[in-house]
Amino acid sequence: MKDRLAESLKQSRADYTEIRVERTWSSAVAFRGRRLETATVSEDQGGFVRVLNKGCGWGIASFTSLDELPGMVRRANELSRAVRLDEPIRLADVAAQTADAVLDLDGDVRGVALSEKKRLLDRYNGAMLAVSDKIVDTQSSYRDEVSEVWYVNSEGASLYQLRPEVVLSGTAIGRRDGNIEKGLESIGLRKGWHSVQNYEDRFRVVAQRAVDLLDAPRVRGAAYPVILDNELAGVFIHEAFGHLSEADFVYENPQAREMMTLGRRFGKPVLNVGDNGAATGLRGTLPYDDEGTPTQDTPLITAGILVGRLHSRETAAKLGERPTGNARAISFRHPPIVRMTNTYIAPGQQGVGFNDLISDIKLGVYACGAFGGQTMLENFSFTAGWGHMIRDGKVAELVKDVVLAGNLFQTLDRIDHIAGDFTWNQMGGGCGKGGQFPLPVTEGAPHVRIEEALIGGDV
Amino acid sequence: MIDRLLDSARGRVDNADALWRREEQTAVAFESGRLKAAGISEEAGINLRVLANGRMGVAGTTAAKPDPKELVERARASAGLGEIVQLAFPGATAAPLPSIPTFFDHTANASLAELIRMGRLLVERLSRPGCQINVSVQREVADTAVGNTAGARGEYRATGIAVTADLTRIAGDDVLMVYDQYVGADMPTDADLEALVRSVETRLAAALTVVTPPEGALPVVFTPAGLAAVILPLEQALSGKTVLQGSSPLAGKVGETLFDARLSIEDDPLTPGRPASRPVDDECVPSRCTALVERGKVGRFVYDLETAARAKTESTGNGRRGVFGKPHIGYTNILFRMTDGGRDGGAQQAAPLPSHELGGGLIADIADGLIVDDLIGVGQGNVISGAFSHPVGLAYRVQRGEITGRVKDAAVAGNAYDVLKRIGGVGRDGRWLGARWSPSLLLEGVSVARR
Repeated sequence: MKDRLAESLKQSRADYTEIRVERTWSSAVAFRGRRLETATVSEDQGGFVRVLNKGCGWGIASFTSLDELPGMVRRANELSRAVRLDEPIRLADVAAQTADAVLDLDGDVRGVALSEKKRLLDRYNGAMLAVSDKIVDTQSSYRDEVSEVWYVNSEGASLYQLRPEVVLSGTAIGRRDGNIEKGLESIGLRKGWHSVQNYEDRFRVVAQRAVDLLDAPRVRGAAYPVILDNELAGVFIHEAFGHLSEADFVYENPQAREMMTLGRRFGKPVLNVGDNGAATGLRGTLPYDDEGTPTQDTPLITAGILVGRLHSRETAAKLGERPTGNARAISFRHPPIVRMTNTYIAPGQQGVGFNDLISDIKLGVYACGAFGGQTMLENFSFTAGWGHMIRDGKVAELVKDVVLAGNLFQTLDRIDHIAGDFTWNQMGGGCGKGGQFPLPVTEGAPHVRIEEALIGGDV
Repeated sequence: MIDRLLDSARGRVDNADALWRREEQTAVAFESGRLKAAGISEEAGINLRVLANGRMGVAGTTAAKPDPKELVERARASAGLGEIVQLAFPGATAAPLPSIPTFFDHTANASLAELIRMGRLLVERLSRPGCQINVSVQREVADTAVGNTAGARGEYRATGIAVTADLTRIAGDDVLMVYDQYVGADMPTDADLEALVRSVETRLAAALTVVTPPEGALPVVFTPAGLAAVILPLEQALSGKTVLQGSSPLAGKVGETLFDARLSIEDDPLTPGRPASRPVDDECVPSRCTALVERGKVGRFVYDLETAARAKTESTGNGRRGVFGKPHIGYTNILFRMTDGGRDGGAQQAAPLPSHELGGGLIADIADGLIVDDLIGVGQGNVISGAFSHPVGLAYRVQRGEITGRVKDAAVAGNAYDVLKRIGGVGRDGRWLGARWSPSLLLEGVSVARR
């Protein structure tokens, strides 16, 4: 394959050419209620060409028929030449990498019979259904893949990466008359078959929660002191801050650049945030990004001060900074854009735990688990799976429909305590941006306290 | 390809159906007012479903020259683990498929230069100091063929074009994002592009002043874009799948009046000029219009072949499938057909307002309330229950019948089933937004919380 790509590179008349080819083997099993929805094996493959010429813009071609590769290189070049630019696009230097990076397959999923995978998921799905007769519906899914990615560019990079992934998810729907609640478990790992065994308890817990929520009141809308659990704190830092640290948001926009000036204070000295694509064994981990740049640990906020941002080669060149290995594409169907990998809030002082965070809160909310989050940059939302009221320093009743309305500047700055109990939360699903969803990412955080945050609901 | 595949399946399985689709996209992207990239994408794939020994299985591939035998074997292996289902594949019919234009020459043949010219026009009209304007133009031509071993066949070509303008204005720490798009099967007219420009301009102009949000249970005008959070629970509950699973609050309520009597909602795959329109669904079922809600009463649920078989009813032609996975239920075009249910509405009689007019003519009697144009995090809560709770992305305060400015740091919450029981007013600003047509709706008693 590498030879075939090298041959096509040689024939390109463009100043810069890159080619990415992917071949993905995947299998999927899904249950809905007691019934199997599907059990299938799929193969997907295709290629992506991107070229650049002096004084011109990007020319891009993606395709499923690899026989068309030479023609697609020509067409990408024509497209690039049709885009005239006054100010040229420059790419920051990256030493051309040549490597075969084979991640640990951890029990190659291609060698496990589909019937085994069905049996595994049947067990997890059954565990949810067995919790209560109030569990009227479930959605359970198992999906695995092994993806081979070849990348070459005209500067001499030549990479082969083998990436496994396995995702388990379960939704339990509890119902009593018109009252309907859900519990959600989601596990996403850049690993294989060995890593998805023995999760019955976690599936049981979410089904029980769906039942418990049937009796829970809706949280009252107001501004409260809020404690985020590890999972929601991770989603919070991804939505609230991570997307703003993606340099494609600032690199062409002087006002945005001013707002995100390095050295600006974003939080109290307890706050340290980063993105680490090179962390070992996480779902957002990759040895190289989709421009062939090695990944790294990039500090974004250190002691409350903005110190870095995430780059592609283009955004790094424009801002005179160094590429960070954050140019990622969800598949050969898309160009690489600036994305997060494994984003984290670093742990606070060792030994500081959850109880230290709530002891002086008279009335507050403990927001747990994550149904999701979305950002509009300054403002963002993150939806907890469930919550508890905090009363007089103690965890009190269960509440539902806990959605936090955040404002970047107000919320980050009001993080006043961070516990030492850091965990990575390896969830399934993924991040969406620019029509590219779901991109595998991981978030990590300890328990985090926000002095005051707005929670929506009846007032 | 379909015929070869179905021939190969005959004799080796009980029955089979398949979809083949080839898509070609051409896109141009302007970033910060500059044309930055042009791209094409070509993709073809085939999806096969079989019934073998009464059990269902599926297989798909994007391989350029798929081996029919291998694909059938993979689908058979999938069926080996599959459930028993009495799928009734539609047979060949003497009557032709409904006639609906899905292919527009002008769209299919538009040159790259033409797409660039359209984008440039929007950039020029919407550029202003302190604002960053991104525009994308994306054209698609798709060929679809569906068939089954019972002899049904369907084939059509379709075009689609999406023109998107999004404007970001950063002033100090205030980030304002205003967005709109044209989506159609045919190229936008000058008037369509003009409407897009006016829509972004109007939303921007009204947003320049930031005011304190109100608080309490208030009248809120949901624009066609803002309505998404209210409609999503209904879309989930009206799906035959959730009804079958027992998780739909509307199960067993067909014919009951649960909504305002002026509210009717249809799923209509035969709407001219829409990219989601089609003569036949992805399972060979001829397209037809389905009344989901009729004058406030729960109408029909939508089904694909499998859910219809399990619910012992007929498919409504809402089967949708991709290259991978099995067919599932999907809506086509969702249309709000508001009628005067004998109340004070009469909206249909009054002249329509241009869609860029914020509030659709519904704000004159609001003493204090909101216009909600965009909410953050829609779809991420416990949607099926009807409950919604979202921070505002773009919303305006209305005081004494006038828009006084944009509000930030506020959250709206309610339950779709409660707020749609009585609609306070129907806007005269009906428009398409993607695959949905609706006017603005004035809904009462929506909770607004603020910091």
